[in-house]
Amino acid sequence: MKQKSLMKRITGSREALLAIVLIVLFVIVTAISPSFLTPKSLMDMLKNNAVMMVMALGMLCVMLVGGIDISIMSTLALSGMAIGMLLKYDVIASPVLAFVIAIAIGIVCGFVVGLVISRADVPPIIATMGFMYVYRAMGYLISNGGEWASAAALGSFKDFATTDFLGINCVIWVIVICYAFFFWFMKWTRTGRKIYAVGSNAEAAQVSGINVKNIKLLVYVIMGLLSGLGGALQVSVYASAMPDMQYGGEMDVIAACVIGGVSMNGGRGTVLGALLGSLILATIARALPLIPFFNQLWLNTIKGVIILAVVIINIVLQRIADRNALKGREM
Amino acid sequence: MAGKSGRSINNVPESSIKRMIFSWEGILVLIFIAVNIFCAFFSEFYNLSSLLRQMPVYLAEVFLMLTMAYILVLGEIDISVGSIVCLSATMSCIVCNTNAPFIVVVLTALIVGTICGAINGFILTKFQELPPMIVTLATQIIFRGIAEIVLGSGGSISVTNTDGFRMIGGKVGEVPYILFLVLILAVIFAVILGKSTFGRRVYAIGTNRLTAYYSGIHVQKIRMIIYTVMGTISGLCALFLVASSYGANTTTGNGFEMDAIAMAVFGGISSTGGKGNLAGGVISAFIIVCLRVGLGQKNVHAQVILLIIGVLLVAAVALPNIVGQVKRAVQVKNK
Repeated sequence: MKQKSLMKRITGSREALLAIVLIVLFVIVTAISPSFLTPKSLMDMLKNNAVMMVMALGMLCVMLVGGIDISIMSTLALSGMAIGMLLKYDVIASPVLAFVIAIAIGIVCGFVVGLVISRADVPPIIATMGFMYVYRAMGYLISNGGEWASAAALGSFKDFATTDFLGINCVIWVIVICYAFFFWFMKWTRTGRKIYAVGSNAEAAQVSGINVKNIKLLVYVIMGLLSGLGGALQVSVYASAMPDMQYGGEMDVIAACVIGGVSMNGGRGTVLGALLGSLILATIARALPLIPFFNQLWLNTIKGVIILAVVIINIVLQRIADRNALKGREM
Repeated sequence: MAGKSGRSINNVPESSIKRMIFSWEGILVLIFIAVNIFCAFFSEFYNLSSLLRQMPVYLAEVFLMLTMAYILVLGEIDISVGSIVCLSATMSCIVCNTNAPFIVVVLTALIVGTICGAINGFILTKFQELPPMIVTLATQIIFRGIAEIVLGSGGSISVTNTDGFRMIGGKVGEVPYILFLVLILAVIFAVILGKSTFGRRVYAIGTNRLTAYYSGIHVQKIRMIIYTVMGTISGLCALFLVASSYGANTTTGNGFEMDAIAMAVFGGISSTGGKGNLAGGVISAFIIVCLRVGLGQKNVHAQVILLIIGVLLVAAVALPNIVGQVKRAVQVKNK
């Protein structure tokens, strides 16, 4: 057996390809606007996309078991709005407690979605679509019919997003900790490997003693937890809470995962891929206004074309790989 | 039709009256009556003439349900329709503002819709391995993105010459044109899905795509046709939407795909493919339309109505599954 050449190994690995794309993007953007590659600019980029990046991890887990969750931004709005209102009416004051409450609400939301999907066998797209309506409406109802919690009402909570710890913004620490944890969790824990097992072949996983239903429940709880965390981050970063925040944002999270090579059929995808996918999306969103002729209006179209191009290139590469494999066999 | 082998053939209607009443469509009719009684008690303005007057805004989405049902029966999903509606509404408004004859406006809306649908169909049939969810997610972003570019920084456009749109928004006596059109199209789509060879093939593909392919069905051709028609119907929906608001903006048609899917799934059309029929879909569509009119008359906020729809949707799919599980558990115990 010949060892694979370095070239082949790089082109064969999805993450390596994505990293190259990301570096090329960085180079292009820096060439156009040198102010891009400064620590402050990069920090701002990470901070503004913190919600998407953190939630991409949850979506990775959900998509790994072959599911999808489009209710996440409604959960985000519900948990964010809940702490926004609690802070506004001085029921709570401590930022830590606000984070705990937001995460707890997220977990409950995710748990209900997970129960409906894993126990009542409702297809994930239908179940999460239903809960997308329900949680968004609940977020609206607890806001007394569309009230905002503005920066003044949030008190010390909004300071979380402006304070630094060891020279790096707290929000970025949250991202780093989440990614570090999930990198370990998905790769080196039993539960993490069980998620991959269920996604690759649910029946085989069932036969080999994995409780498939509980794993499915678990991924939606993880997704809910991260949505709750995302809600708290959103309120903190943008210093306001409103019931329609991040409307339609779930598509960005799914797009980040898809660009990062997470398969919709389950079983394929890595934490590194999700990171690179969301970084690529974030870079494009940040870079587009810097390029003359293109303006912010083009952002969505370009995003869509990139998603489409990525999935199509993926298929074409897969077909070529399959054909090459067959060629080898015939000889 | 469960034979001795334990196999069951879906979608073969059984003609016993008991079956008919206890079928999902029977339950839906009861829910429809219940919803109307509830609305009549809830709002003192709720009667036939107010219903007919306020219906057209919500009826436009029923068009989308008709074709979405086909896509769901195929076992697929199209989440780009809301954006197609937005793009064709925008384009038809722009064409209308150039003082073009109204027929050109109508054609623009339909053609833009058809092209968008054909793009979906083309990508999905050329690259069959791709999940429809992800392709239509991308085209959803693209189509709305194009509308955003066309609309420019203002983000909205209004029709200056409303004569044509006033005409299609008209009514015979008290019944608006759109209701006739919805009913006619519903009958046509239901007959094609339920009674024609084409419709049977759609069920065959939804039940088992590979078997359908080996028994000589042009799977990709049928998928292409359905996605293209979905686009055309979205264009039609856009026309009637403009006829009720005389304009378009970047949020036109937001969430329509979800509403159409919700109507179809609540009507008993399984999103996993091969199950359900359009009669259920149409009844459930009218349940939701009546609910929206009734609650809207008392200024119940749209979000509350969405909450009710969301709960109904999850319950409609979850309850039969739970009942089935309990029944099976009881059977096992009895054995």
